[in-house]
Amino acid sequence: MGLSVTLPASGHDSRATALPIAFERLFRTEYGRVVGIANRILNDTAEAEDVAQEVFFSFYRTHAADASYASAWLHAAAAHSALNALRARARRDRREAADAVAPDAADPADPAARVVAAETRDEVRAVLARLPERSAALLALRYSGLSYAEIAAALDVRASSVGTLLRRAEEAFRRELA
Amino acid sequence: MNDQENIEHALAVDDAPVDTEGALARFRARVGREGVLPVSAAPRRRIAARWLQALAAAAAIVLVASGLALSGAADSILKIFEPKSVVGVPLTQGDLNTLGQACAGLELEQCLGAYGTFAWDTPPQPKEVTTLAAASSAAGFSVKTPSSLPIGVTGQPRYGVINKSSATFTFSADATQRTAAKQSRTTPPLPANIDGSKLFITGGPAVVQIWGVPQSSSPTVGSGMPTLVVGQAKSPVVSSDGVTVPELQSYLLAQPGVSPQLAAAIRAISDPASTLPVPVPAELAVSHQVTVQGVSGLFIGDNTGIASAILWQKDGMMFEVIGALTERQALDVANSMK
Repeated sequence: MGLSVTLPASGHDSRATALPIAFERLFRTEYGRVVGIANRILNDTAEAEDVAQEVFFSFYRTHAADASYASAWLHAAAAHSALNALRARARRDRREAADAVAPDAADPADPAARVVAAETRDEVRAVLARLPERSAALLALRYSGLSYAEIAAALDVRASSVGTLLRRAEEAFRRELA
Repeated sequence: MNDQENIEHALAVDDAPVDTEGALARFRARVGREGVLPVSAAPRRRIAARWLQALAAAAAIVLVASGLALSGAADSILKIFEPKSVVGVPLTQGDLNTLGQACAGLELEQCLGAYGTFAWDTPPQPKEVTTLAAASSAAGFSVKTPSSLPIGVTGQPRYGVINKSSATFTFSADATQRTAAKQSRTTPPLPANIDGSKLFITGGPAVVQIWGVPQSSSPTVGSGMPTLVVGQAKSPVVSSDGVTVPELQSYLLAQPGVSPQLAAAIRAISDPASTLPVPVPAELAVSHQVTVQGVSGLFIGDNTGIASAILWQKDGMMFEVIGALTERQALDVANSMK
Protein backbone atom coordinates (compact mmCIF):
# COMPACT_ATOMS: atom_id res chain seq x y z
CA MET A 1 0.00 0.00 0.00
CA GLY A 2 1.76 3.12 -1.20
CA LEU A 3 1.35 6.72 -0.31
CA SER A 4 0.41 7.97 -3.74
CA VAL A 5 -2.96 9.65 -3.79
CA THR A 6 -3.58 10.18 -7.48
CA LEU A 7 -6.87 8.71 -8.59
CA PRO A 8 -7.61 7.84 -12.16
CA ALA A 9 -9.83 10.32 -13.92
CA SER A 10 -13.50 9.54 -13.76
CA GLY A 11 -13.91 10.47 -17.40
CA HIS A 12 -12.19 11.88 -20.42
CA ASP A 13 -11.93 15.59 -20.91
CA SER A 14 -10.15 17.04 -23.86
CA ARG A 15 -10.15 20.58 -22.48
CA ALA A 16 -6.83 22.04 -21.49
CA THR A 17 -6.38 22.43 -17.75
CA ALA A 18 -4.97 25.47 -16.01
CA LEU A 19 -1.68 24.57 -14.37
CA PRO A 20 -0.26 26.01 -11.16
CA ILE A 21 1.55 29.27 -11.88
CA ALA A 22 4.77 27.95 -10.36
CA PHE A 23 4.69 24.96 -12.67
CA GLU A 24 4.12 27.08 -15.77
CA ARG A 25 7.06 29.25 -14.74
CA LEU A 26 9.22 26.16 -14.26
CA PHE A 27 8.12 24.76 -17.61
CA ARG A 28 8.93 27.99 -19.45
CA THR A 29 12.30 28.29 -17.72
CA GLU A 30 13.45 24.72 -18.14
CA TYR A 31 11.69 23.30 -21.20
CA GLY A 32 14.32 24.48 -23.69
CA ARG A 33 17.14 23.16 -21.57
CA VAL A 34 15.45 19.78 -20.97
CA VAL A 35 14.90 19.42 -24.73
CA GLY A 36 18.52 20.47 -25.27
CA ILE A 37 19.87 17.79 -22.94
CA ALA A 38 17.69 15.12 -24.53
CA ASN A 39 18.58 16.30 -28.03
CA ARG A 40 22.29 16.21 -27.21
CA ILE A 41 21.83 12.49 -26.56
CA LEU A 42 19.28 11.65 -29.25
CA ASN A 43 20.18 14.10 -32.01
CA ASP A 44 16.50 14.21 -32.92
CA THR A 45 14.58 17.30 -31.87
CA ALA A 46 11.14 15.72 -32.22
CA GLU A 47 12.12 12.71 -30.10
CA ALA A 48 13.81 15.02 -27.60
CA GLU A 49 10.58 17.01 -27.28
CA ASP A 50 8.67 13.78 -26.64
CA VAL A 51 11.16 12.91 -23.91
CA ALA A 52 10.79 16.39 -22.42
CA GLN A 53 7.00 16.03 -22.27
CA GLU A 54 7.36 12.73 -20.41
CA VAL A 55 9.93 14.19 -18.02
CA PHE A 56 7.71 17.17 -17.15
CA PHE A 57 4.66 14.92 -16.83
CA SER A 58 6.48 12.59 -14.48
CA PHE A 59 7.63 15.55 -12.42
CA TYR A 60 4.17 17.16 -12.37
CA ARG A 61 2.55 14.04 -10.95
CA THR A 62 4.81 13.69 -7.94
CA HIS A 63 6.70 16.89 -7.22
CA ALA A 64 5.96 20.46 -6.33
CA ALA A 65 6.96 23.00 -8.95
CA ASP A 66 8.65 25.19 -6.36
CA ALA A 67 10.71 22.33 -4.90
CA SER A 68 14.32 23.41 -4.45
CA TYR A 69 15.52 20.42 -6.43
CA ALA A 70 13.11 20.90 -9.36
CA SER A 71 15.66 21.96 -11.98
CA ALA A 72 18.23 19.39 -10.90
CA TRP A 73 15.60 16.65 -11.03
CA LEU A 74 14.49 17.68 -14.51
CA HIS A 75 18.06 17.78 -15.82
CA ALA A 76 18.87 14.32 -14.43
CA ALA A 77 15.59 12.87 -15.65
CA ALA A 78 16.15 14.37 -19.11
CA ALA A 79 19.52 12.66 -19.38
CA HIS A 80 18.37 9.31 -18.00
CA SER A 81 15.16 9.24 -20.05
CA ALA A 82 16.96 10.22 -23.25
CA LEU A 83 19.59 7.54 -22.67
CA ASN A 84 16.80 5.00 -22.18
CA ALA A 85 15.21 6.15 -25.44
CA LEU A 86 18.59 5.95 -27.19
CA ARG A 87 19.13 2.38 -26.03
CA ALA A 88 15.60 1.43 -27.07
CA ARG A 89 16.31 2.96 -30.46
CA ALA A 90 19.55 0.94 -30.72
CA ARG A 91 17.70 -2.29 -29.91
CA ARG A 92 15.03 -1.45 -32.46
CA ASP A 93 17.65 -0.67 -35.11
CA ARG A 94 19.39 -3.96 -34.45
CA ARG A 95 16.14 -5.85 -34.83
CA GLU A 96 15.28 -4.04 -38.05
CA ALA A 97 18.79 -4.57 -39.42
CA ALA A 98 18.53 -8.26 -38.68
CA ASP A 99 15.17 -8.42 -40.45
CA ALA A 100 16.15 -6.30 -43.43
CA VAL A 101 17.72 -7.59 -46.64
CA ALA A 102 21.18 -6.05 -46.97
CA PRO A 103 21.37 -3.56 -49.83
CA ASP A 104 23.86 -4.21 -52.57
CA ALA A 105 25.28 -0.73 -52.32
CA ALA A 106 24.74 2.58 -50.56
CA ASP A 107 22.11 4.86 -52.03
CA PRO A 108 23.98 6.59 -54.82
CA ALA A 109 21.78 9.62 -54.46
CA ASP A 110 23.29 10.37 -51.03
CA PRO A 111 26.24 12.73 -51.21
CA ALA A 112 29.28 11.04 -49.68
CA ALA A 113 29.84 13.76 -47.18
CA ARG A 114 26.32 13.42 -45.87
CA VAL A 115 26.72 9.68 -45.49
CA VAL A 116 29.94 10.10 -43.55
CA ALA A 117 28.40 12.74 -41.32
CA ALA A 118 25.34 10.61 -40.64
CA GLU A 119 27.46 7.57 -39.87
CA THR A 120 29.58 9.64 -37.50
CA ARG A 121 26.51 10.95 -35.72
CA ASP A 122 25.12 7.43 -35.41
CA GLU A 123 28.44 6.19 -34.12
CA VAL A 124 28.58 8.95 -31.53
CA ARG A 125 25.08 8.01 -30.33
CA ALA A 126 26.08 4.33 -30.22
CA VAL A 127 29.07 5.24 -28.07
CA LEU A 128 26.86 7.26 -25.72
CA ALA A 129 24.51 4.29 -25.41
CA ARG A 130 27.41 2.01 -24.48
CA LEU A 131 28.98 4.34 -21.90
CA PRO A 132 28.23 3.92 -18.21
CA GLU A 133 25.00 5.78 -17.36
CA ARG A 134 26.63 8.43 -15.23
CA SER A 135 29.42 9.11 -17.73
CA ALA A 136 26.97 9.52 -20.59
CA ALA A 137 24.74 11.75 -18.49
CA LEU A 138 27.73 13.83 -17.42
CA LEU A 139 28.79 14.44 -21.02
CA ALA A 140 25.27 15.28 -22.13
CA LEU A 141 24.75 17.73 -19.28
CA ARG A 142 28.15 19.38 -19.65
CA TYR A 143 27.98 19.76 -23.41
CA SER A 144 24.43 21.08 -23.10
CA GLY A 145 25.92 24.00 -21.23
CA LEU A 146 25.24 23.14 -17.59
CA SER A 147 27.68 24.48 -15.02
CA TYR A 148 29.66 22.22 -12.71
CA ALA A 149 27.32 23.21 -9.87
CA GLU A 150 24.24 22.32 -11.92
CA ILE A 151 25.77 18.98 -12.94
CA ALA A 152 26.63 18.24 -9.31
CA ALA A 153 23.05 18.94 -8.25
CA ALA A 154 21.56 16.85 -11.05
CA LEU A 155 23.76 13.80 -10.56
CA ASP A 156 24.09 14.10 -6.79
CA VAL A 157 27.86 14.30 -6.76
CA ARG A 158 30.15 16.81 -5.09
CA ALA A 159 30.83 19.89 -7.20
CA SER A 160 34.53 19.41 -6.50
CA SER A 161 34.34 15.94 -8.11
CA VAL A 162 32.67 17.03 -11.33
CA GLY A 163 35.93 17.98 -13.06
CA THR A 164 37.53 14.62 -12.34
CA LEU A 165 34.40 12.67 -13.28
CA LEU A 166 34.07 14.67 -16.46
CA ARG A 167 37.65 13.96 -17.48
CA ARG A 168 37.09 10.24 -16.91
CA ALA A 169 33.88 10.37 -18.91
CA GLU A 170 35.66 12.17 -21.75
CA GLU A 171 38.45 9.60 -21.73
CA ALA A 172 35.93 6.76 -21.81
CA PHE A 173 34.11 8.48 -24.66
CA ARG A 174 37.33 8.89 -26.65
CA ARG A 175 38.34 5.27 -26.05
CA GLU A 176 34.95 4.00 -27.22
CA LEU A 177 34.95 6.27 -30.26
CA ALA A 178 38.47 5.31 -31.31
CA MET B 1 41.51 21.45 -31.99
CA ASN B 2 41.91 20.25 -28.40
CA ASP B 3 40.23 17.23 -26.78
CA GLN B 4 37.29 19.18 -25.39
CA GLU B 5 36.65 20.78 -28.75
CA ASN B 6 36.81 17.36 -30.41
CA ILE B 7 34.20 15.98 -28.05
CA GLU B 8 32.08 19.08 -28.36
CA HIS B 9 32.24 18.67 -32.12
CA ALA B 10 31.33 14.98 -31.89
CA LEU B 11 28.37 15.73 -29.64
CA ALA B 12 27.22 18.74 -31.64
CA VAL B 13 23.58 18.67 -32.69
CA ASP B 14 21.25 20.95 -34.56
CA ASP B 15 19.75 22.90 -31.69
CA ALA B 16 16.61 23.92 -33.50
CA PRO B 17 14.56 26.51 -31.61
CA VAL B 18 11.77 24.94 -29.58
CA ASP B 19 8.20 26.15 -29.34
CA THR B 20 7.87 26.33 -25.57
CA GLU B 21 4.36 27.79 -25.61
CA GLY B 22 3.17 25.10 -28.01
CA ALA B 23 4.72 22.45 -25.83
CA LEU B 24 3.06 23.94 -22.75
CA ALA B 25 -0.30 23.89 -24.52
CA ARG B 26 0.17 20.19 -25.35
CA PHE B 27 1.12 19.55 -21.75
CA ARG B 28 -2.00 21.33 -20.45
CA ALA B 29 -4.18 19.30 -22.80
CA ARG B 30 -2.66 16.05 -21.61
CA VAL B 31 -3.10 16.96 -17.95
CA GLY B 32 -6.74 17.80 -18.67
CA ARG B 33 -7.26 14.63 -20.67
CA GLU B 34 -5.76 12.35 -18.03
CA GLY B 35 -7.13 14.23 -15.03
CA VAL B 36 -3.79 14.31 -13.25
CA LEU B 37 -3.69 16.46 -10.16
CA PRO B 38 -0.83 18.79 -9.29
CA VAL B 39 1.08 18.35 -6.07
CA SER B 40 0.46 21.38 -3.90
CA ALA B 41 0.83 22.74 -0.34
CA ALA B 42 4.51 23.50 -0.10
CA PRO B 43 5.58 21.95 3.22
CA ARG B 44 3.74 18.71 2.63
CA ARG B 45 4.53 18.36 -0.98
CA ARG B 46 8.25 18.47 -0.35
CA ILE B 47 7.87 15.58 2.02
CA ALA B 48 5.45 13.75 -0.24
CA ALA B 49 7.77 14.28 -3.16
CA ARG B 50 10.75 12.98 -1.24
CA TRP B 51 8.77 10.01 -0.06
CA LEU B 52 7.41 9.20 -3.45
CA GLN B 53 10.71 9.74 -5.12
CA ALA B 54 12.55 7.43 -2.77
CA LEU B 55 9.79 5.04 -1.90
CA ALA B 56 10.19 2.61 -4.77
CA ALA B 57 13.88 2.06 -4.26
CA ALA B 58 13.81 2.29 -0.48
CA ALA B 59 10.81 0.07 -0.05
CA ALA B 60 12.31 -2.54 -2.32
CA ILE B 61 15.48 -2.74 -0.31
CA VAL B 62 13.77 -2.47 3.05
CA LEU B 63 11.02 -4.91 2.21
CA VAL B 64 13.30 -7.52 0.75
CA ALA B 65 16.00 -7.17 3.35
CA SER B 66 13.63 -7.33 6.28
CA GLY B 67 11.79 -10.39 5.12
CA LEU B 68 14.75 -12.67 5.09
CA ALA B 69 15.16 -13.88 8.62
CA LEU B 70 13.01 -16.91 8.06
CA SER B 71 15.36 -19.50 6.65
CA GLY B 72 14.27 -22.64 4.91
CA ALA B 73 15.25 -25.38 2.58
CA ALA B 74 16.27 -24.52 -0.93
CA ASP B 75 14.18 -25.71 -3.85
CA SER B 76 10.92 -24.97 -2.11
CA ILE B 77 8.66 -21.96 -2.18
CA LEU B 78 8.80 -20.25 1.16
CA LYS B 79 6.59 -17.57 2.54
CA ILE B 80 9.28 -15.30 3.88
CA PHE B 81 7.34 -12.15 4.60
CA GLU B 82 3.81 -11.43 5.65
CA PRO B 83 3.45 -8.32 7.77
CA LYS B 84 1.48 -8.42 10.97
CA SER B 85 2.74 -5.08 12.27
CA VAL B 86 4.39 -1.91 11.00
CA VAL B 87 7.45 -0.08 12.24
CA GLY B 88 9.20 3.10 11.14
CA VAL B 89 12.69 2.88 9.66
CA PRO B 90 14.48 6.23 9.57
CA LEU B 91 15.99 7.22 6.24
CA THR B 92 18.64 9.91 6.38
CA GLN B 93 18.91 12.72 3.85
CA GLY B 94 21.82 10.81 2.36
CA ASP B 95 19.67 7.69 1.90
CA LEU B 96 16.95 9.77 0.27
CA ASN B 97 19.34 11.58 -2.02
CA THR B 98 21.09 8.42 -3.11
CA LEU B 99 17.99 6.34 -3.59
CA GLY B 100 15.85 9.14 -4.98
CA GLN B 101 18.43 10.57 -7.35
CA ALA B 102 19.30 7.13 -8.64
CA CYS B 103 15.72 6.73 -9.74
CA ALA B 104 15.10 10.18 -11.25
CA GLY B 105 13.25 9.60 -14.48
CA LEU B 106 13.27 5.84 -14.13
CA GLU B 107 10.40 3.42 -13.73
CA LEU B 108 10.16 1.01 -10.78
CA GLU B 109 11.31 -1.84 -12.98
CA GLN B 110 14.40 0.12 -13.98
CA CYS B 111 15.29 0.99 -10.39
CA LEU B 112 14.99 -2.63 -9.33
CA GLY B 113 16.79 -3.61 -12.52
CA ALA B 114 19.98 -2.58 -10.77
CA TYR B 115 19.90 -5.92 -8.97
CA GLY B 116 18.04 -8.20 -11.32
CA THR B 117 14.85 -8.53 -13.29
CA PHE B 118 11.55 -7.23 -11.99
CA ALA B 119 8.49 -8.34 -13.91
CA TRP B 120 4.83 -7.81 -13.17
CA ASP B 121 2.86 -11.02 -13.46
CA THR B 122 -0.35 -9.09 -12.79
CA PRO B 123 0.30 -5.34 -12.79
CA PRO B 124 -1.71 -2.99 -10.56
CA GLN B 125 -4.51 -1.34 -12.50
CA PRO B 126 -6.29 1.32 -10.46
CA LYS B 127 -9.85 2.21 -11.31
CA GLU B 128 -12.41 4.50 -9.81
CA VAL B 129 -15.81 3.39 -8.56
CA THR B 130 -18.64 5.55 -7.33
CA THR B 131 -19.76 3.96 -4.06
CA LEU B 132 -18.32 2.26 -1.01
CA ALA B 133 -20.37 -0.85 -1.81
CA ALA B 134 -18.88 -0.98 -5.29
CA ALA B 135 -15.41 -0.63 -3.81
CA SER B 136 -16.06 -3.53 -1.41
CA SER B 137 -17.43 -5.63 -4.22
CA ALA B 138 -14.50 -4.92 -6.53
CA ALA B 139 -11.91 -5.53 -3.80
CA GLY B 140 -13.58 -8.65 -2.45
CA PHE B 141 -13.49 -7.53 1.17
CA SER B 142 -15.53 -5.31 3.47
CA VAL B 143 -14.08 -1.79 3.25
CA LYS B 144 -13.93 0.10 6.52
CA THR B 145 -14.68 3.81 6.45
CA PRO B 146 -14.43 6.52 9.14
CA SER B 147 -17.65 7.03 11.07
CA SER B 148 -16.57 10.53 12.06
CA LEU B 149 -14.53 13.09 10.16
CA PRO B 150 -12.50 15.98 11.56
CA ILE B 151 -13.54 19.57 11.03
CA GLY B 152 -12.47 20.69 7.60
CA VAL B 153 -12.99 17.33 5.94
CA THR B 154 -16.33 17.44 4.20
CA GLY B 155 -18.20 16.08 1.25
CA GLN B 156 -18.28 12.70 -0.38
CA PRO B 157 -15.04 10.79 -0.89
CA ARG B 158 -13.86 9.36 -4.19
CA TYR B 159 -13.14 5.65 -4.22
CA GLY B 160 -10.23 3.99 -5.99
CA VAL B 161 -9.72 0.23 -6.25
CA ILE B 162 -6.46 -1.48 -7.13
CA ASN B 163 -6.60 -5.13 -8.16
CA LYS B 164 -4.54 -7.92 -6.57
CA SER B 165 -1.13 -7.58 -8.17
CA SER B 166 1.84 -9.88 -8.31
CA ALA B 167 5.40 -9.64 -9.50
CA THR B 168 8.53 -11.74 -9.67
CA PHE B 169 11.99 -10.47 -8.95
CA THR B 170 14.99 -12.51 -10.12
CA PHE B 171 18.40 -11.62 -8.69
CA SER B 172 21.17 -11.24 -11.25
CA ALA B 173 24.88 -11.04 -10.56
CA ASP B 174 25.45 -9.63 -14.05
CA ALA B 175 22.92 -6.84 -13.58
CA THR B 176 24.40 -5.98 -10.19
CA GLN B 177 27.91 -5.73 -11.58
CA ARG B 178 26.79 -3.73 -14.60
CA THR B 179 25.02 -1.26 -12.35
CA ALA B 180 28.02 -0.92 -10.09
CA ALA B 181 30.25 -0.31 -13.11
CA LYS B 182 27.87 2.29 -14.51
CA GLN B 183 27.80 4.12 -11.20
CA SER B 184 31.57 3.82 -10.78
CA ARG B 185 30.91 2.14 -7.47
CA THR B 186 32.26 -0.94 -5.83
CA THR B 187 29.66 -3.44 -4.79
CA PRO B 188 30.11 -6.80 -3.10
CA PRO B 189 29.78 -9.72 -5.54
CA LEU B 190 26.37 -11.40 -5.50
CA PRO B 191 26.74 -14.80 -3.81
CA ALA B 192 26.36 -17.61 -6.34
CA ASN B 193 23.39 -19.13 -4.54
CA ILE B 194 21.50 -15.83 -4.70
CA ASP B 195 22.20 -15.28 -8.39
CA GLY B 196 19.12 -16.45 -10.26
CA SER B 197 16.97 -16.93 -7.17
CA LYS B 198 13.47 -15.50 -7.25
CA LEU B 199 11.17 -13.55 -4.98
CA PHE B 200 7.42 -13.70 -5.59
CA ILE B 201 5.63 -10.59 -4.39
CA THR B 202 1.86 -10.30 -4.04
CA GLY B 203 -0.02 -7.19 -2.96
CA GLY B 204 -3.62 -6.05 -2.79
CA PRO B 205 -6.41 -5.76 -3.62
CA ALA B 206 -6.49 -2.28 -2.14
CA VAL B 207 -9.09 0.46 -1.76
CA VAL B 208 -8.41 4.15 -1.22
CA GLN B 209 -10.98 6.69 -0.13
CA ILE B 210 -10.04 10.28 -0.84
CA TRP B 211 -11.72 13.39 0.51
CA GLY B 212 -11.13 16.90 -0.79
CA VAL B 213 -10.60 16.09 -4.45
CA PRO B 214 -13.22 17.50 -6.82
CA GLN B 215 -15.39 14.98 -8.64
CA SER B 216 -14.67 16.71 -11.94
CA SER B 217 -12.02 15.17 -14.13
CA SER B 218 -10.65 18.66 -14.71
CA PRO B 219 -9.37 19.65 -11.29
CA THR B 220 -8.98 23.33 -10.69
CA VAL B 221 -5.77 24.87 -9.49
CA GLY B 222 -5.36 24.94 -5.74
CA SER B 223 -7.95 22.32 -4.96
CA GLY B 224 -5.99 19.27 -5.98
CA MET B 225 -4.57 18.22 -2.62
CA PRO B 226 -6.74 15.76 -0.73
CA THR B 227 -7.66 16.63 2.83
CA LEU B 228 -7.91 13.00 3.91
CA VAL B 229 -6.85 9.68 2.40
CA VAL B 230 -7.88 6.35 3.89
CA GLY B 231 -6.38 3.18 2.48
CA GLN B 232 -7.03 -0.50 3.10
CA ALA B 233 -5.27 -3.41 1.45
CA LYS B 234 -4.71 -7.10 1.83
CA SER B 235 -1.31 -7.49 3.44
CA PRO B 236 1.47 -8.08 0.93
CA VAL B 237 3.20 -11.44 0.91
CA VAL B 238 6.72 -12.20 -0.29
CA SER B 239 7.72 -15.76 -1.08
CA SER B 240 11.05 -17.13 -2.20
CA ASP B 241 12.22 -20.14 -4.14
CA GLY B 242 14.98 -20.58 -1.62
CA VAL B 243 17.72 -18.06 -0.99
CA THR B 244 20.33 -18.16 1.75
CA VAL B 245 18.78 -15.74 4.15
CA PRO B 246 21.67 -14.31 6.20
CA GLU B 247 23.80 -13.88 3.09
CA LEU B 248 21.07 -12.07 1.20
CA GLN B 249 20.28 -9.77 4.09
CA SER B 250 23.94 -8.93 4.58
CA TYR B 251 24.41 -8.48 0.86
CA LEU B 252 21.51 -6.07 0.41
CA LEU B 253 22.33 -4.03 3.48
CA ALA B 254 25.94 -3.67 2.31
CA GLN B 255 24.86 -2.09 -0.99
CA PRO B 256 26.01 1.42 -1.87
CA GLY B 257 23.23 3.82 -0.91
CA VAL B 258 22.18 1.92 2.21
CA SER B 259 23.59 3.85 5.13
CA PRO B 260 24.92 2.12 8.25
CA GLN B 261 22.06 3.73 10.20
CA LEU B 262 19.44 2.25 7.88
CA ALA B 263 21.13 -1.16 7.92
CA ALA B 264 21.28 -1.10 11.71
CA ALA B 265 17.60 -0.11 11.97
CA ILE B 266 16.57 -3.01 9.76
CA ARG B 267 18.75 -5.49 11.62
CA ALA B 268 17.20 -4.30 14.87
CA ILE B 269 13.73 -5.43 13.85
CA SER B 270 13.06 -8.36 16.12
CA ASP B 271 10.61 -10.20 13.90
CA PRO B 272 11.47 -9.17 10.36
CA ALA B 273 9.38 -11.87 8.74
CA SER B 274 6.17 -10.26 9.95
CA THR B 275 7.07 -6.59 10.38
CA LEU B 276 6.58 -4.07 7.59
CA PRO B 277 9.28 -1.42 7.79
CA VAL B 278 7.99 1.95 6.61
CA PRO B 279 10.67 4.39 5.38
CA VAL B 280 10.48 7.64 7.34
CA PRO B 281 12.66 10.60 6.26
CA ALA B 282 14.51 11.23 9.52
CA GLU B 283 15.17 14.91 8.93
CA LEU B 284 11.69 15.72 7.66
CA ALA B 285 9.35 13.67 9.77
CA VAL B 286 8.89 12.11 13.17
CA SER B 287 7.43 8.72 13.94
CA HIS B 288 6.46 6.64 16.93
CA GLN B 289 4.32 3.65 17.79
CA VAL B 290 0.67 4.26 18.72
CA THR B 291 -2.24 2.06 19.70
CA VAL B 292 -4.95 2.12 17.06
CA GLN B 293 -7.99 -0.15 16.76
CA GLY B 294 -6.53 -2.11 19.69
CA VAL B 295 -3.26 -2.98 17.93
CA SER B 296 0.15 -1.39 17.64
CA GLY B 297 0.42 1.03 14.72
CA LEU B 298 2.82 3.64 13.43
CA PHE B 299 2.31 7.40 13.55
CA ILE B 300 4.29 9.54 11.09
CA GLY B 301 4.11 13.31 11.23
CA ASP B 302 6.02 15.91 9.27
CA ASN B 303 8.15 18.33 11.21
CA THR B 304 5.87 21.26 10.48
CA GLY B 305 3.00 19.52 12.27
CA ILE B 306 0.51 19.96 9.47
CA ALA B 307 0.42 16.44 8.07
CA SER B 308 0.01 13.07 9.74
CA ALA B 309 -0.16 9.46 8.73
CA ILE B 310 -1.13 6.41 10.75
CA LEU B 311 -0.52 2.89 9.49
CA TRP B 312 -1.51 -0.36 11.12
CA GLN B 313 -2.17 -3.99 10.40
CA LYS B 314 -5.10 -5.99 11.67
CA ASP B 315 -6.81 -9.23 10.63
CA GLY B 316 -4.65 -9.68 7.54
CA MET B 317 -5.27 -6.16 6.27
CA MET B 318 -3.06 -3.08 6.11
CA PHE B 319 -4.68 0.28 6.86
CA GLU B 320 -3.52 3.86 6.46
CA VAL B 321 -4.94 7.27 7.30
CA ILE B 322 -3.16 10.26 5.81
CA GLY B 323 -4.18 13.88 5.93
CA ALA B 324 -3.58 17.45 6.91
CA LEU B 325 -4.39 16.46 10.47
CA THR B 326 -2.94 16.58 13.94
CA GLU B 327 -1.93 13.31 15.54
CA ARG B 328 -5.06 13.38 17.69
CA GLN B 329 -7.33 13.95 14.70
CA ALA B 330 -5.62 11.21 12.71
CA LEU B 331 -6.02 8.77 15.60
CA ASP B 332 -9.68 9.69 15.99
CA VAL B 333 -10.29 9.04 12.31
CA ALA B 334 -8.42 5.72 12.48
CA ASN B 335 -10.25 4.56 15.59
CA SER B 336 -13.65 5.53 14.15
CA MET B 337 -13.24 3.21 11.15
CA LYS B 338 -15.77 0.44 11.01
